[in-house]
Amino acid sequence: MEGHPYGYNIPISEKTKAVPWEEKVRVIEEVKSDFRFKEYLFGCLNCGVCTASCPSNRFFDYSPREIVQRFLEEDVEVLYDMMHEYIWACSQCFTCWIRCPFVNNPGGLVAIMREVAVRNAFEATKDLLKPYGRVLLKVMTTGNQLSADMLQPDFFPDWGPKMADNMENLRAKRMAIPFDVGKSVKTAWEVSLETAIEMYTIWRETGIFEMLEKLDPNLYNVIMDIVEENEERYQELYAEEE
Amino acid sequence: MGHAKLDSKWGYTSPGGLLRYPEEPPFPVKEYDAHYDHIFEMMEELEAKGEILIHRITEEHQPVPVYTRTGRIKLIPTNKLWHHKSCGQCGNIPGYPASVFWFMNKFGLDYLNEPHQTSCTAWNYHGSGTSNPVALAAVWLRNMHQAWKTGYYPLIHCGTSFGSYKETREQLIMNKELRDAVKPILKKLGRLTEDGRIVIPQEIVHYSEWVHAMRYRIAELYQKEGKAKGIDVSNVRVAIHNACHTYKMIADDYPYDPEVFNGQRPAASTAVMQALGAQVVDYSTWYDCCGFGFRHILTEREFTRSFAIQRKLKVIYEEVKADVIITHDTGCTTTFEKNQWIGKAHGMYYPVAVMSDVMFAALACGAHPFKVVQLYWNCSSYEPLLEKMGITNWRELKKEWEDTVKYIAELEKAGKYDQLMEFFKEYDLYEPYSRTSTGKPKASATANMPLFKS
Repeated sequence: MEGHPYGYNIPISEKTKAVPWEEKVRVIEEVKSDFRFKEYLFGCLNCGVCTASCPSNRFFDYSPREIVQRFLEEDVEVLYDMMHEYIWACSQCFTCWIRCPFVNNPGGLVAIMREVAVRNAFEATKDLLKPYGRVLLKVMTTGNQLSADMLQPDFFPDWGPKMADNMENLRAKRMAIPFDVGKSVKTAWEVSLETAIEMYTIWRETGIFEMLEKLDPNLYNVIMDIVEENEERYQELYAEEE
Repeated sequence: MGHAKLDSKWGYTSPGGLLRYPEEPPFPVKEYDAHYDHIFEMMEELEAKGEILIHRITEEHQPVPVYTRTGRIKLIPTNKLWHHKSCGQCGNIPGYPASVFWFMNKFGLDYLNEPHQTSCTAWNYHGSGTSNPVALAAVWLRNMHQAWKTGYYPLIHCGTSFGSYKETREQLIMNKELRDAVKPILKKLGRLTEDGRIVIPQEIVHYSEWVHAMRYRIAELYQKEGKAKGIDVSNVRVAIHNACHTYKMIADDYPYDPEVFNGQRPAASTAVMQALGAQVVDYSTWYDCCGFGFRHILTEREFTRSFAIQRKLKVIYEEVKADVIITHDTGCTTTFEKNQWIGKAHGMYYPVAVMSDVMFAALACGAHPFKVVQLYWNCSSYEPLLEKMGITNWRELKKEWEDTVKYIAELEKAGKYDQLMEFFKEYDLYEPYSRTSTGKPKASATANMPLFKS
């Protein structure tokens, strides 16, 4: 069957077709077993307000209504297929959530689906998140997601010539801010070493490092080098203090 | 209307002290006392059971009451605040937090600005899916514990942190399994109270709510210092863009006010513009997001710029001819700011100045446009706005800033660190130093920064 008789206009991919039915059921059940699932989906009038107000719907073949409807119909094939690329169109603005008369949260469902797709190392996820590596590296190691030196003009040529001006004498510009914020270049602010160590513990205990290893082993190795180096440095400082 | 009118409406107070209602709902609300309040009631119950400790807003925080969407009165602490910074603001729009600190210094308020915090990491989660609710909750509770430990009340700078933290709070309160999952991690971090409780703040407060609560004091400062400098915002046309994660996530917990579009729009940002006397203009796509999209701004930029240009910038430029778009979140500011120039390629260039509410308010009150408000970083055309506001000496002020940057760069290049330190001693005295959690002032806010050690 190509696509879906009730409106999912994207043909079911060969990738999805090749996956055993039991595996597809397992993945969708993993989504449904998330404790948030029951808080995000109540029922659906099929009114389409969510899709009408969805920014991504204006530019992508993407509809939050479809996601809600497919879950209610337990349409495993389509839901599994959506988890390759479809769900990554969502811009996580949650306009669907505030507009829904039933207070469903389609954006929240997408968050769970993305998490499960990453955890199960979907190939599409690996490709889609490749350009996101810089943010992942930054957040996993420093606790900041964005720093001044990330906005390089060659990465953002469409942002115009002022970007190049901004990067000139960047260090001096950061130092010249007369408040104790934003003075560092490689982080948004100076995150203390002990705070970073606490964050690494959180990543370890909650399986985030494992998740990353499956997603991008090379990036994982780079991150772990920095993490271990910082942990050693912390141990040394701790020993010195004692 | 000032605070007094609001104060007189403090009617019923719940036994635990967290809920406050006016005698009558200030504007028509559906199920006015029934929707979101259960979260606060459950927080009280969990505290009574010894599961959580509520970091309460007290008199020393000088709280100001504001209405939320359901008519509940939310207390906005205005003093003794712990700044939960935003990676986007500090990293990309430094004039944004700097303007907040500038105001707090002007008002003589007590605050703590320290390095013992991470960002919320929620941008990463919404963009890449590489986190989970337990990790998000652990990061939030770790940061909130740090704030509680210092005795200062957390003020959240970022819209996404604010939305994520509100959502995480609801999940934690409603789900024992999440509390059970996060507690051992916090214990390992030493981030539970001595008797093993999770620390949850009474209210999660966004900086725009602080600006909202302080709007009359800001307006007074404008009259006293801004106008004296020849600044006048009464002819400035302002279009407001509310950030999705401030008011669409946990929608009931954000200010609405009967005097702001009859309570039909979020009140923060709009109300401060009204208090300053600027002309707030309404436009048809006020409800739309900016197009940031988390991962989209990095990896699907054609979506971000198409949406930003066609749904927001074009509409605001053509429909209401605004002089400035006022935002209150980093992502929105960046999206509108950085996606204007590319429109030239398709004859869709809509040059509108973009800045946050607090940056505009600081300008109105006479803050230095480059040294404090850091407009140097902005890509949108802010110059016509400065002219219209009466800040006609912006060229000299810009040169002053550029000369300072050049001087610092030259000294550093020449390795003249002693001279640089001397310069910063004077330069930093421009504003009082912020303090660390040890309570001791830093010798020099700049001299201790890692830049000099690398």
